[in-house]
Amino acid sequence: MISARLAWRNLGLHRKKSLIIGLIMGLGILILFVGNSLIDTTISGLRRMFVEGYTGDLMVTGPTEFSTTVLGETAGSEEVLPHIAQIKKYEDFLISRQDVASILPILSGQVSFGIGEEELGSGYCFGVNISDYRAFFPDNVSLLSGEWPEESDEPWVLLSEPTYALLQQSSNTEVKPGTKIIMTALANSAGTVIREVSVKGIIRFNQSNEQLSGITLVDADTMRDLLGFASLRDGAPQLSEHEAAFLTDFDPDSLFDNLFASQTILTEGEEQPEIVSGVSSEDMLENAGLGTIQVSSSTTVTAEIVPAWQFLLVRAKKGANTSKLLDELQAFSEQLGDGDRVQDWIAGAGKVARTAVTIRLVFDLLVAIIAVVVVMIMMNVLVISVNERLHEIGTLRAIGAKRHVIRSMILYETTFMALIAGAAGLIIGFILLLIMGKVGIRAPNLFFEALFGGEILKPVISIGAAIRAFLWILAMALAACWYPTRLAVRIEPVVAMRGE
Amino acid sequence: MSDTIIKLDAVQKVYYLDTVEVEAIRDISLEIRAGDFVSIAGPSGSGKTTILNLIGCVDKPTSGTVIVNGQRTSDLDDDRLTELRHRSIGFIFQTFNLIPVLNIRENVELPLLLDGLSGSESKAEREKWVDFLIDSVGLKDRMLHKPAELSGGQRQRVAIARALVMKPAIVLADEPTANLDSATGESILRLMRKMNETFGTTFIFSTHDPDIVEEADHIIRLKDGIIVEDRRIVEDQDDKLGFRPSVRATSPEATSTGLNGIEATGTEGSQP
Repeated sequence: MISARLAWRNLGLHRKKSLIIGLIMGLGILILFVGNSLIDTTISGLRRMFVEGYTGDLMVTGPTEFSTTVLGETAGSEEVLPHIAQIKKYEDFLISRQDVASILPILSGQVSFGIGEEELGSGYCFGVNISDYRAFFPDNVSLLSGEWPEESDEPWVLLSEPTYALLQQSSNTEVKPGTKIIMTALANSAGTVIREVSVKGIIRFNQSNEQLSGITLVDADTMRDLLGFASLRDGAPQLSEHEAAFLTDFDPDSLFDNLFASQTILTEGEEQPEIVSGVSSEDMLENAGLGTIQVSSSTTVTAEIVPAWQFLLVRAKKGANTSKLLDELQAFSEQLGDGDRVQDWIAGAGKVARTAVTIRLVFDLLVAIIAVVVVMIMMNVLVISVNERLHEIGTLRAIGAKRHVIRSMILYETTFMALIAGAAGLIIGFILLLIMGKVGIRAPNLFFEALFGGEILKPVISIGAAIRAFLWILAMALAACWYPTRLAVRIEPVVAMRGE
Repeated sequence: MSDTIIKLDAVQKVYYLDTVEVEAIRDISLEIRAGDFVSIAGPSGSGKTTILNLIGCVDKPTSGTVIVNGQRTSDLDDDRLTELRHRSIGFIFQTFNLIPVLNIRENVELPLLLDGLSGSESKAEREKWVDFLIDSVGLKDRMLHKPAELSGGQRQRVAIARALVMKPAIVLADEPTANLDSATGESILRLMRKMNETFGTTFIFSTHDPDIVEEADHIIRLKDGIIVEDRRIVEDQDDKLGFRPSVRATSPEATSTGLNGIEATGTEGSQP
């Protein structure tokens, strides 16, 4: 193909210009490749850590106007902690799906630890059914000492390594399996709650960072107590018919109806104005983790047991389309109408993952800005190149080259440059990443340590990043040659007749 | 009597330089017969190049009619004009206009490559034809050289071979000897004449050199954009030459006898 041959030879003839554009392209692809690989490594590391250790692929939370992470960022920020009222329906919906591997309900909150009357420190706690938890995160928790709790056990706690170290350092008492410790939490709806639990073991999270490694596991009922939810430890509450009727019909606001009688005198026939209640009896039931009251024919009634859970973690099957699952779960949640939130692991992971994603966005934005500048520079160089070749292009037109031949000649030139510079940039980037992968990048502070998922980031070569970088450069090259190509095809053959 | 291959009728060309109108040629009417060896003479600014541009379909008249090889150029769009130039017209430029990145062989072959090697002839036949033309202009041993490695006269020989490679009906040469010394210029002119006689191609060249003007069969003199002389030196070319090919050469075999005797290795070779 003659236009390709001409383009290739012209690159050699106009070496300086080719070199300038090639360097810009090569540098661009290098930055894109290495930068995206680093970000990809960070995000995939974070993803692996959170999805396999803390959040699952998706997460359902109760209705809240605040952002909710699995570490309970919003705990304490609302009067009534959000929980999933119809968790059973979610469970039924999810278990029936082919793309869901497993689900796990959990509770989460911040708790103070003490021994005796001594308060020794605080940390995050997950309230879980330990067998379900271990089945959902089979590889993330190792038992360093003690034993795994049984369902029948008394209130238990599995102390994380850092929490154990903290308690051990701060207390005169030796902390070991069997030690009784005091857990205290400020449950907004129930005031301060204090529970005594028995240390069952010391655990380590295999994938963690500074913040996550300190999470302590506690039995779900104790966690419910600490968060102010009704505990189901003693089984379903037995209510008399009178109590059930009272809870069903009682309107606490009616107690205050006559306090301001002078302002609420109604004339005959006037309707009672609707009183907006802050907390209704239904809310009280709901908050207690109790659903519908079923009145039996006997003198006592049994409330349907609906244990309160704040989060329902969802693990998708390998290769499943999590976006589709997210959409369909969101649609299901909307159908239920409780205002629950369905979010992905990034929202569940919180600040660290959001920061990594934001860094990617900022990086992409910077790249876009730099790309505009680079395109302008490349365009200028190409315009100069076209202007210097007016006579040559005019001659080609005069001897029979149609406009498309000229267009493809310029396009070939730019594409060849993109290919060569791209290949060079990718090779250099590949070598750099290999070296960085061997040596590692040390996190300068705790923030980066959280971001890197450890003290040292060892970037992996991301084929996706390489392809993205190359496509970026190709797009930039094509954008840059758009105007010069227009100029070139407009060159009239009569130009050839003029002196050089 | 030969057929008319080019006809200009009441042609005017006006250029606009900012707000100034420059009338390059006015009321030009002429006819050129197929196979003629035509010179367009006149001082600088007389309109020689403008007429060549119009005949070569690289420009359009402001008014009047230009008919080239039976086609009215003002009726054709850009693609068709390009096609007409490609198929019917060869160009020899004053500044040679060879493509610097291509070697001599590739430069000569270029118009064929623009054609995408389509047509009835095979690649081998075309390559043979290119080799024959290069041999004919005496540059067989420089085939793989780049234009920058040749003298001015050699470059113009390459340009002549390139102009003929599509076997056009017309070859236009704009001051083909202006950048050459007189001996080389004469050699080039002889080569053009020989090609004209061998292939029956109509050659039209512009010049301001009075000696070269007289080499033509048909002389058109211009002054200030109008024709001051339109003279056919020999009304019937057959009478002058004693022979005239009735069919244009289409293969090396058909023409080889007539071309090998051209002074292809003239004195121009010493000027890099």
